[in-house]
Amino acid sequence: MRAASAITVATIRQVLGFRRAIIFGLAALAPALVFLLTTQALVDEAALDRFIGMVIGLYFPLLVPIVALIISASALGDERRDGTLSFLVLRPIPRSVISTSKIIGAIAVASALNALGAAAVGAVYGLETGSWGLVIPLVVGGVVASIVYASIFVPLGFFTDRAVLIGLAFVLIFENGVVSALSGLSSLSPWRLGMSAFSGLAPAEVASQLTDTGIANLAGLGSTLLRTMLILIISIVGTTLVLRRRDLA
Amino acid sequence: MTLNPALVESPTIEVDDVSKWFGQKVAVSNVTCSFGPGVTGLLGPNGAGKTTMLRMLTGLIRPSQGAIRVLGVWPRTSPSVYSSIGLVPEEAAVYPSMTAREYVRYAATLSGVTDIHAATERAIDAVALDDAADRKLAGYSKGMRQRAKVAASLVSDPQILLLDEPLNGTDPVQRLHLISLFRRLGDEGRTIIVSSHILEEVERMSDRVIAVVDGRLAAAGDVAAIRSAMSDIPYRVRVETDRTRVLAARLLEESLVHGVSVEDGVLHVETGDLTALGKRVPAVAREVDARITSFRPEDASLESVFRYLVRKR
Repeated sequence: MRAASAITVATIRQVLGFRRAIIFGLAALAPALVFLLTTQALVDEAALDRFIGMVIGLYFPLLVPIVALIISASALGDERRDGTLSFLVLRPIPRSVISTSKIIGAIAVASALNALGAAAVGAVYGLETGSWGLVIPLVVGGVVASIVYASIFVPLGFFTDRAVLIGLAFVLIFENGVVSALSGLSSLSPWRLGMSAFSGLAPAEVASQLTDTGIANLAGLGSTLLRTMLILIISIVGTTLVLRRRDLA
Repeated sequence: MTLNPALVESPTIEVDDVSKWFGQKVAVSNVTCSFGPGVTGLLGPNGAGKTTMLRMLTGLIRPSQGAIRVLGVWPRTSPSVYSSIGLVPEEAAVYPSMTAREYVRYAATLSGVTDIHAATERAIDAVALDDAADRKLAGYSKGMRQRAKVAASLVSDPQILLLDEPLNGTDPVQRLHLISLFRRLGDEGRTIIVSSHILEEVERMSDRVIAVVDGRLAAAGDVAAIRSAMSDIPYRVRVETDRTRVLAARLLEESLVHGVSVEDGVLHVETGDLTALGKRVPAVAREVDARITSFRPEDASLESVFRYLVRKR
């Protein structure tokens, strides 16, 4: 347990240095700032439309994936590139502890940043309309998407130095291009899983408005959380097997 | 009684007919040897397979063929043995955002050390890093990083310590300190393996040497035996001076000099005894009023010595 928490804390420090904390912190607040500048003096209904536009146009498809994939790809990728992986694996601890701690560390940072972004957008909406019921659903949605991205990009960072590039191509071309055109593939899009969680927790009128956008086949909350947990477990098991079996030259 | 000089009587590490290849490239070829308590030098030119050997001994990479046992087990499948092994890799392998103290403490925590604070302070003290221990590793020189890595590997009080070119980047004072530390650890009954491509360096640390060239075992035994095997082929030394031809003519009169040549104003001297030449050249230079600006063995010469050992074997 002591080793697991030490690796998790070290991972958090490693993926979120001072400069990154400032840059990503400001990036996380960007959607809220844009929202603030564009919602002033709108009536409640128009503000809700603008809020949903912000969520499906900026927060989920851009902010959440980019923050999560850059953070996640460096969790194991930096260790491999800097030669510190041998420092970790040559210790009397199971490889499963290493993989779990690295993934948890990446999830913690990505989730915190994306939750900050969600809370800020929700807070602006709350201040404008007096309705605060969307803050927690949006935070949960951001966290769910962060978990899925970290589950994918922590192990990918181990395999290739180009994990961020591959991630950006995945997000911008596949998720925001192909899946947007073919909504039947929406279950393969991590940020849409986050949006499903948001939709599942949000008030009914918001959920129905999200469905009307046709941006995704939104799953129920239970199904979304189940899928997220499954992806996380597969990622931990897979990363553990890779650390056990692959040569770490 | 063991007759094969590559084997020891009470081994803590056994290497049995081990080969490793990466695609078409053979990095280690049919090596059989063993290591026991004390300091053993793993000697060979750059690219000889030393790092691959050390990585296989720790289980970081698997042999393509053969078997390795460390304290009786293959570490990859018995991670608990890592509490008894320390590795100091040649590459960076440090976290730049950590201080040396945090880095060593992190190693202690992951190694399951009981009294982390005491072990950390002891390890930092052993490598004489006390004064700089609270500075970030990013600002460390290469030599200081080497010492931090040694401290991190010592913090769990390992029975086996594997060091890959640990003296690289260290200054003469740090070098002396580390050499005496490795000797002391060996004298305490630990198995210490130090890789290096410099015979003089290995000679100062260890009594036993395993020499590898092109992935093959070239020679094994005590340092004197290796030296004797190497004495009948010449080293080539590059000497830069302001009176090249005068010094060349004078050096030819010396019995330990096998030959001299001048290429592009640089003097190349062949000798069978590098240490003796190193002492004699300054004296000769003084006699002829020449100023020596550089004196160094040529790497190609060292490699040819190692290759000679392989052919001889």
